[in-house]
Amino acid sequence: MKHFFFLTIVLFSLASFAQENGTISGTLTDKESADGQPLPFASVIIKGSTQGSTSDFDGNYIINNVVPGTYTLVISFVGYETKEVANVVVVSGQTTTVNEIIGASAAQLEEVIVQGTSSKRESVQALLVEQQNAVVQKQSIGAVDLSNKGVSNAAVAVTKISGISKQEGGGNVYVRGLGDRYQNTTYNGLPLPSNNIDKKNLDLGLFSSDVIQNIGVSKTYAANFYGDFAAGNVDIKSKEHSGDAFIDVDLGTTINTGSVGENFVKSEGTGFFGFYNRYQNNPFAVILSHGVDPIASDGTTGLSGSISGGKSWDIGEESKLSLFATTSFGSNYEYRRGQAANYTLLANTIYPDSEEFEYSRTTTALANIVYRINGDHKIKFNSLFINDATDEIGFFGIGGNGQNRNAILNTDRGFFTQNNQFEQDMIYVNQITGTSRLNEKIKIDYGVGYNKVLARQPDRKRVTLERYDLALDNDPSTNPTLFSNVVFDNQRYFQNIDDDEINGRVNVNYKSSENLSFNFGYNGRSKKRSFDNQRFGYDIIEPNTEVTDVNNFDAIFNADNLGTVFNTSVFRPLEGLGTENLPGQLENTYEGELNIHAVYADAVYKYGEKWTFSPGLRIEQFNQEISYDVINLAFNNPGSNEASETFFLPSLNIKYALKDDQNLRLSVSRTVSNPEFKEVAPFVYENVVDRIGGNPDLLNDPAFSSIINVDLKYEWFFERGQIFSLAAFAKQINDPVNLVSANDATGTQRFFRTGDKAEVFGLELEARKALLLDTEEESLLSAGMNITYTHTNQDLKDVTGTFNTNFDRDSDELQGASPFLINADVSYTPTFGNYKPKANLVFSYFSDRIDALGSGQLSNIVEKGVPTLDFVWKNNIGENIELNLSTKNLLNPTIERIRENTVDGDVALSSYKRGVNIGLQFKYKF
Amino acid sequence: MKTNKFLLSLFAATALFVGCADDDTADVTINNGGGEIVNPTSNVIGGTLTEDLELVTGVEYSLESALIVPEGFTLTINPGVVVRASTGSDVYVAVLQGGTINAEGTSSNPIVFTSNSSTPNPGDWGGLIVLGRAPINSVVNGGSSTSEIGQLPYGGSDAADDSGIIRYVRIEYSGGAADAASENNGFSFYGVGNGTTIEFIQAFEGADDGVEFFGGTVNASNISVVGSQDDSIDWTEGFTGTLTDVYVEHRQSHDKGIEGDGFNTDIGNNSNPVFWSAPTINNLTIVGLGSSNETEAIRLRAGTRAVFTNVLIDGFEEAYDLDDDETGVGVLNGDTSVTDVTFTDVILNLKNDTNATFTDADFFTGIGNGTGTDYPSWSSGWTRN
Repeated sequence: MKHFFFLTIVLFSLASFAQENGTISGTLTDKESADGQPLPFASVIIKGSTQGSTSDFDGNYIINNVVPGTYTLVISFVGYETKEVANVVVVSGQTTTVNEIIGASAAQLEEVIVQGTSSKRESVQALLVEQQNAVVQKQSIGAVDLSNKGVSNAAVAVTKISGISKQEGGGNVYVRGLGDRYQNTTYNGLPLPSNNIDKKNLDLGLFSSDVIQNIGVSKTYAANFYGDFAAGNVDIKSKEHSGDAFIDVDLGTTINTGSVGENFVKSEGTGFFGFYNRYQNNPFAVILSHGVDPIASDGTTGLSGSISGGKSWDIGEESKLSLFATTSFGSNYEYRRGQAANYTLLANTIYPDSEEFEYSRTTTALANIVYRINGDHKIKFNSLFINDATDEIGFFGIGGNGQNRNAILNTDRGFFTQNNQFEQDMIYVNQITGTSRLNEKIKIDYGVGYNKVLARQPDRKRVTLERYDLALDNDPSTNPTLFSNVVFDNQRYFQNIDDDEINGRVNVNYKSSENLSFNFGYNGRSKKRSFDNQRFGYDIIEPNTEVTDVNNFDAIFNADNLGTVFNTSVFRPLEGLGTENLPGQLENTYEGELNIHAVYADAVYKYGEKWTFSPGLRIEQFNQEISYDVINLAFNNPGSNEASETFFLPSLNIKYALKDDQNLRLSVSRTVSNPEFKEVAPFVYENVVDRIGGNPDLLNDPAFSSIINVDLKYEWFFERGQIFSLAAFAKQINDPVNLVSANDATGTQRFFRTGDKAEVFGLELEARKALLLDTEEESLLSAGMNITYTHTNQDLKDVTGTFNTNFDRDSDELQGASPFLINADVSYTPTFGNYKPKANLVFSYFSDRIDALGSGQLSNIVEKGVPTLDFVWKNNIGENIELNLSTKNLLNPTIERIRENTVDGDVALSSYKRGVNIGLQFKYKF
Repeated sequence: MKTNKFLLSLFAATALFVGCADDDTADVTINNGGGEIVNPTSNVIGGTLTEDLELVTGVEYSLESALIVPEGFTLTINPGVVVRASTGSDVYVAVLQGGTINAEGTSSNPIVFTSNSSTPNPGDWGGLIVLGRAPINSVVNGGSSTSEIGQLPYGGSDAADDSGIIRYVRIEYSGGAADAASENNGFSFYGVGNGTTIEFIQAFEGADDGVEFFGGTVNASNISVVGSQDDSIDWTEGFTGTLTDVYVEHRQSHDKGIEGDGFNTDIGNNSNPVFWSAPTINNLTIVGLGSSNETEAIRLRAGTRAVFTNVLIDGFEEAYDLDDDETGVGVLNGDTSVTDVTFTDVILNLKNDTNATFTDADFFTGIGNGTGTDYPSWSSGWTRN
């Protein structure tokens, strides 16, 4: 690769004084890539001579100093047809342009796949070339690397990129240690919705590797990104078909060491594939018809399976239609055991021993159709459906040791809660994207998308007992009793979120000269959210009602006991009716609307051989509205808030090529951070041991955080597929938003603009090196590592408004930021004849970070650092069969959230181990 | 196999997935027999006052939404007025900082707030909330906080703040849940100052606390709490008033007779110089359901101080339960004590969980000398049983 660049640069240099002869140049396009990708590394030779060139990453080639005359060009690339172009006329002092589309040679295609040298932007070295050439600092991981590293989904994938950490037990990732709020996720360059009310970004774990072409993370800003950008943008490119028709089938099983031997339970009424069939019923009918007890699940072995297929049809000489479709299903069991607590300044509720049974199912279906009209025009339809469902059954306070400060009978022991919930998130993404090259100079990229999210939490059941210890004492004459301080201590809960979004983008690229090009573009999105919930409390009629069998709450909470043992109660009765033993109105509702329209322009200017400048400006019109009707707000609360802003967001990216293989990059930009619907809607979600709500004041002036970003990076591509880079970054975030324990009587956590500014400084180191090469100079043993250190500091101030908060200190770290992130991996890929196993050991670590700032005298809630070690072993047996073994979370660390520095020291609010996941997969290629 | 069959099978599979979940939910038909609701035949009140309001004797008022008395306005309620509240925890009367309530009933003609239901239940509606500008210890001195219910501001630096007069007022069936974690009380006094007059009040059959003080300096006398389902008298956030002649009677469902907190443990004691709740209670009677019922009469927590004089506790497993280290500090330095107390049908007089070392004799003086309040002498004519 180094040689290639050297050659290219030499040829470019020659071009400036080789005027007496002529020049042949042009662009090669890959017919197999569905979106008209350029074909890099192809050889272009003048037939009968030794004169020629190689196409660069953009598919461009140039042959200088050609004696005038008529020639035939021979274009070749491994695995592709060798194409001869006759009658190429070269005139003195002029450039002859020859653009060609090169298709795969059917006979040799298999060889290409086997050798893994596909030209698609999937391989490590191809992506490193892209990283080297891009003006914007961007890192990507492609399908080949995903497969080699045994990466199962996008969330794991991005942790292979420096400065990224994954939240343990969830698919949410943190770029450069900054939180969810400071990053974006896009799919084919268009915004992706979140599946979780608590998050801005979608759970990347929902994207299985099978549907990913590549994932790119951009950590510096460019004008074509939405202005809501601080830490980075994650873009997932959906898989497209190229080459021969194929069908893959795989089947697998997963075992979680923590779950084996447990009597696993799940919610009643949820299906094998994670669907639920009672949404159309009134919730009151559901609670009368169905009980509260969990049921046994079928074993503890997770299953997985998928079918994918693709086929392409040539239409005429130039056109091609490609279809790719995949559907997959996976289930997983996880058992967690440990402490759960609500601890503020003192212990409110502590369950020293709790267990949770999590049974999750994911179904993914993706189809895309790519119609490549010719080398210049391409259009693609892309449709994605994800169903992500999780049953979670929690028994808090097993062993009879639960304590509740407000218990009635005994505050020291026997407090117990059973929480039985199911969540189903259905995500539909439909996109049409396309590319058109109008002429030599103008290329248009465009896309429109429609996203829909249905996030449901139907029928969460919560039962609370006092004196649970009496259920364990083998004395049938003493029994626990139902705790009923508030009527909602025992309750059923139903929640619905609907999101709709329409978005679009168009970019016009104008190539003014070899050294200067411009982009002009628009992107916009219009998103709506509708939220509602209903809740039914069980008002226990007899005080201290005894429970004779803690495994049979259905004996109490059944329709026959309505009005005799309990009354149901709602917050908001139906018009003219009472709150008891009747359906009710929706308890909390909110509607959110977000409209963003932006135009931008940037330029890429190459000055000399070493400098590339890319200045850009984005003008973004932002409007966000929230209207809500939620319980327990001040009588004079307006029930809505709105903000409209126009942002001017300049950016400058500079690349300086120190040497052929070394770059120095500088990036400076202004961006913003806008609040999410869930942060501005004052609805409070009540977990078993904590409560989290939004704050509409975030849309008061200032309604956004203004951010200045500066990045400086040195990178050295010292060998093919190997890199060393060091980056320093600094950010100033004005008016940052943090999650804070609010200053009200319930200790609810809410979002506040807690200070005037936060400062962020960091260093990022990345190295990837081949440690051993085989006889063919291919990597045998290689290692990669990246380390990020981030220092954050923000000032803190008192906040008054709809909700208030104050602090006993002037400054603290930024919520959600981890000072240290480490990712490391070792790959061993030996060859034993036809047996080519791939073994990967992958390690990642993030250090302690603030989960919520403590207000008043409260100390912070801290998410403790977690190391993760995975081992993946892939075995290709012959041409058709793959047998893969994966062992994940080998270190099995304790996952812990604590309230630090209390009078009782650090107190675990949650603490558990996830167990080691061992998976075996059998894959067959037809 | 042809690739395009995949799309078909994909859609077929989706249908299959959905079909696997159960639904055998029965329909619900609301058969409302009618006659449940007492139709408002009289004046409807509610909303935020834009002028002073006087509720006059002889008229029955219907409270259909929160009635807010903002700063500068006065709610006057004449003797004998009955206010019937619609069902709902967001139906309450709130007197904001700077607002005034003059509710003066008489022993023979009290003012009554009750549920409009013909079969009233505890928790039907929200109760009476008064918010003042007296000190609270949940915020830095002189600051204000917002109430658990309704997010209304309270607290300040005016110990002598005057919210008006509440005399011979009975509140029934209040205490509806405001959210899944908090409930309204009968009387909620948030940072109410000692310029306010509170005497002869009763909370009857409420779902949460009978009378709760969130900080403030107000003095109150002749307080009756009967059948409160949670704590009958509750204080927190640095309440420092004096309560004289207090009668608490538990019914079938109840929690503590008194639950006193020195500060709000979710927020912290942010006062400087630091102060704790430190009320004085004179002439207190708490009647429970018997010592076999595993119940506590008085729980003092979170550093509260309290000086009790003339106490009668009847029918509890535990009489006094003291929690948290700071509460013990209050006992050791003499801020908390009980003088002249009588325990009838009580198993354990004192349960000390504070880590401070003191004996029953250090805490109680004059055991057997307590007579409690002379309830019959002041309860007749205006209270319910």
